[in-house]
Amino acid sequence: MADTIQLFITCIIDTFYPEVGEAVVSVLQKAGVHVSFPPGQTCCGQPAFNAGLRREARKMAMQTICAFEDYPGPVVIPSGSCASMLRHSYAEIFQDDPEWQHRAADLAKRSYELSEFLVDVLGITDLGASFAGKLTYHSSCHLLRGLGVDRQPRALLTKVRNAEFIELPDTADCCGFGGVFSVEHAEISTAMLKRKLKNIDTSGASIVVSCDAGCVTNINGGLHRVGMNQRAVHIAEVLDQE
Amino acid sequence: MSKVFRSRIHTSLADENLQAALDANAERRLKVRKEAFASLPEPEDKRRHAHEIRKQVIEHLDEYLEQFTSRARQNGMIIHQAVDAEQAISIIVEIASKQQAELIAKSKTMVSEEIGLNHALGELGLEVVETDLGEYIVQLRGEPPSHIITPAVHLRRADVSRLFEEKLGLPYTEDIGKMTDAARRKLRQVFLNADIGISGVNFGVAETGTICLVTNEGNGRMVTTIPRVHIALMGIERIVPTLDDLSLMLSLLPRSATGQKLSVYTSLINGPRRGEDPDGPVERHIVLIDNGRRSTRNSGLQEILYCIRCGACLNACPVFREIGGHAYVSREGKSSPYPGPIGSVVSPALFGQLQFGHLARASSLCGACREACPVDIDLPKLLLRVRAGMHTGENPASRKPNAPKPLGSGLRLFTLAATSPRLFTIAQRLAGFAGSLLSPLYKGDYWIRLPKISGWGYSKDFPSPAKQSFRSRYFDTQQKVGEINRTSHLGQDPMASQETQQEILRIPTLMGAERFAAELTALGGIFIDCKPEQVAQEVIQVLKSKGINQLLAWNETCLPPGVLKGLVDAGVEVSYPEAATLEPNSLIIAGLTGASIGIAETGSIVVTGSAGRPLSASLLPEVHIALLWEKDMVENLEQALHNEEIKRLPASVIISGPSRTADIEMTLTIGVHGPGELVVICIREK
Repeated sequence: MADTIQLFITCIIDTFYPEVGEAVVSVLQKAGVHVSFPPGQTCCGQPAFNAGLRREARKMAMQTICAFEDYPGPVVIPSGSCASMLRHSYAEIFQDDPEWQHRAADLAKRSYELSEFLVDVLGITDLGASFAGKLTYHSSCHLLRGLGVDRQPRALLTKVRNAEFIELPDTADCCGFGGVFSVEHAEISTAMLKRKLKNIDTSGASIVVSCDAGCVTNINGGLHRVGMNQRAVHIAEVLDQE
Repeated sequence: MSKVFRSRIHTSLADENLQAALDANAERRLKVRKEAFASLPEPEDKRRHAHEIRKQVIEHLDEYLEQFTSRARQNGMIIHQAVDAEQAISIIVEIASKQQAELIAKSKTMVSEEIGLNHALGELGLEVVETDLGEYIVQLRGEPPSHIITPAVHLRRADVSRLFEEKLGLPYTEDIGKMTDAARRKLRQVFLNADIGISGVNFGVAETGTICLVTNEGNGRMVTTIPRVHIALMGIERIVPTLDDLSLMLSLLPRSATGQKLSVYTSLINGPRRGEDPDGPVERHIVLIDNGRRSTRNSGLQEILYCIRCGACLNACPVFREIGGHAYVSREGKSSPYPGPIGSVVSPALFGQLQFGHLARASSLCGACREACPVDIDLPKLLLRVRAGMHTGENPASRKPNAPKPLGSGLRLFTLAATSPRLFTIAQRLAGFAGSLLSPLYKGDYWIRLPKISGWGYSKDFPSPAKQSFRSRYFDTQQKVGEINRTSHLGQDPMASQETQQEILRIPTLMGAERFAAELTALGGIFIDCKPEQVAQEVIQVLKSKGINQLLAWNETCLPPGVLKGLVDAGVEVSYPEAATLEPNSLIIAGLTGASIGIAETGSIVVTGSAGRPLSASLLPEVHIALLWEKDMVENLEQALHNEEIKRLPASVIISGPSRTADIEMTLTIGVHGPGELVVICIREK
């Protein structure tokens, strides 16, 4: 019997990209763990938190903590920004509430972003994936600067057979998503995304890999609008290719 | 959302000239910063330590201020306290009228921008001239600075040249050196004629009462050395406890701001001119300005007071790079003197959430600002606190988020659904259904073209929600998913064999005079070493090579024995810069001084002013020749700051290379207000 992890699929993947969710499950199973999906989960509360709505963010955080509290073992999240939300922002939300802060810390301690979990906890970099094509990697902001996760997804991607890995120029620059920022400040967000698209074009890669469905949505939305043929994909989709 | 802000954003984005300038700024600044930090051992530890020091200061601010002011008073400084802009201005006006001042020379101080000083003094008929090249340019243009370090970052050389053509009568030129020279000439007269010099303060040292000021052009030295009265404006949070702490901050500030190990001039000022001192102001004032800082200290935004105003977060910020400093305006269109990530927290904290709170929403929270911050301020956290209205009141119930209404309502509805998994599932089904309804409109395309007003539709297409969500598919197929038997790796050492080889830090092998020589040369200075008996000969050689026959020099008792005599015997005209002769002497193009200390790590010399040792001899001439005994060489800044003279004498300066600026198109120009050439003659006794 393999060890069990609790999957926090995140609201974006859940609602928009079920196939990515299935790739995450498949990758985790290939890595030898049993995947459980606590049914009480919805959204980590990041949209409300980023918008400044602390009361709503607090409700969402409580909802999430309760959803996972009865399910032991590591919580795996296929998103750098949601994982960063659990790890860092819940402490901020409950700063004046020791009881909930404690419960939030318990959840934070056992929460991992997907690539971080595979590489740092399981010690796996080769999942037997194969992809014929040119890949590049976009370092998502919260993954890179919030969690300090960078070498893990790179280690996983360089083990993908038949793939040519190309470094994305200015990979650590924000793609312009930023959650509510992208709708409140569409003009600035657009200018930032334009740079990202230009760098993707320069790289020569056909696939841009990211560990965050938010960035994937933003980049793809832009690529599609301007008629570029490159596509952004979630890392699980690449790792699940055989 | 403020309409004016939105319109400024549009203007900035459409301004190709500005976009080119901002791109150049970001690229250059990030590069030099990175290079400068490569020469700093354990930068992360230093950053954390600096954070702790700043935290300590802000938490015990009143105690440190008390210690600082009492020491500074003992040193002869006149201390004033201003609770707000109005009081600060009236204090300065009072000093000015007592001095019957007409002309004020000012070096860059952000706190003066904050209190609107130039405008207020101008209204009273006083002539205030900004002397930092970038500030001078924006003052001539009648606009506020657009960056806290490089005020004219938004301009290209052609803009500056046309301005100088109009205002100074300089024929149009693309040559930045010529423009700088024109400003130098114009401002030199201002320095020499000004009744008062006004400067900012980078750090106030509590244990000694010292104020520290860093500049590159030399204008900061001019305004604190030449006019008979000096007024230093200081935000109350600018304190560091000790000289050791100052040394740490100085290892971070110039690296973060301009990519320098040390700024060209680090002035350390303790007090006014004493008894026999040949120069320096007879009166020095420090105006300590609160202007909202104490109330910020008692709010959730306290951490913003750790800021040391390096501007690194502006350079790293992708939003600043798109919109530039002038776009950061209040609801009424008033510019904030503090733009970028730091400004989006400082401005609402000091000048009001209602007027400036919307700025904090113009951030993708990418964290590049925090990564660049030399004192590790968690800027994203603070931006989020502004968004949540955490500065608006002590009482959590009175805090109001500043989200636009439709967004707030939408998210409240979302929260309602998402706090119930049942409702959430229903909402997902509805979204999937809506997506499939819309789909024919887009010819079955997966991508939805939302209207522009949605924000998202402005430049991006939106994916259709899945007809069946992940959770629904998961629960439907759960039974079918077979378990794969593979060995579990849980429990293994997570980090084993995964660590990549850390890049080994290049440890400099040179030490002492050799290191000093290498660093000084890299800064554009000239290093000469010689035996004690050869000093006069070496000085003559330098003068001859430049066709110079006149010299402004320290008193012979303050220089190595026999040097002045040797020079005079060789026919060099030597004069001593007394207060009365300063002006004519400014035509003499070489100055000869001693140096108390050499700092090997940065190629810097410490020059202290006192009887027989006028600081102006190292400042006014175009060529500065300094005599340094090899035995006075120390390895680093921290050791240098332990020197007793620095603590005791009214004013000292740490000089790192020739005077320079990069205020026009970030093009390095040598020789602004201070000497354009620095020659250090190192005297070896053996």
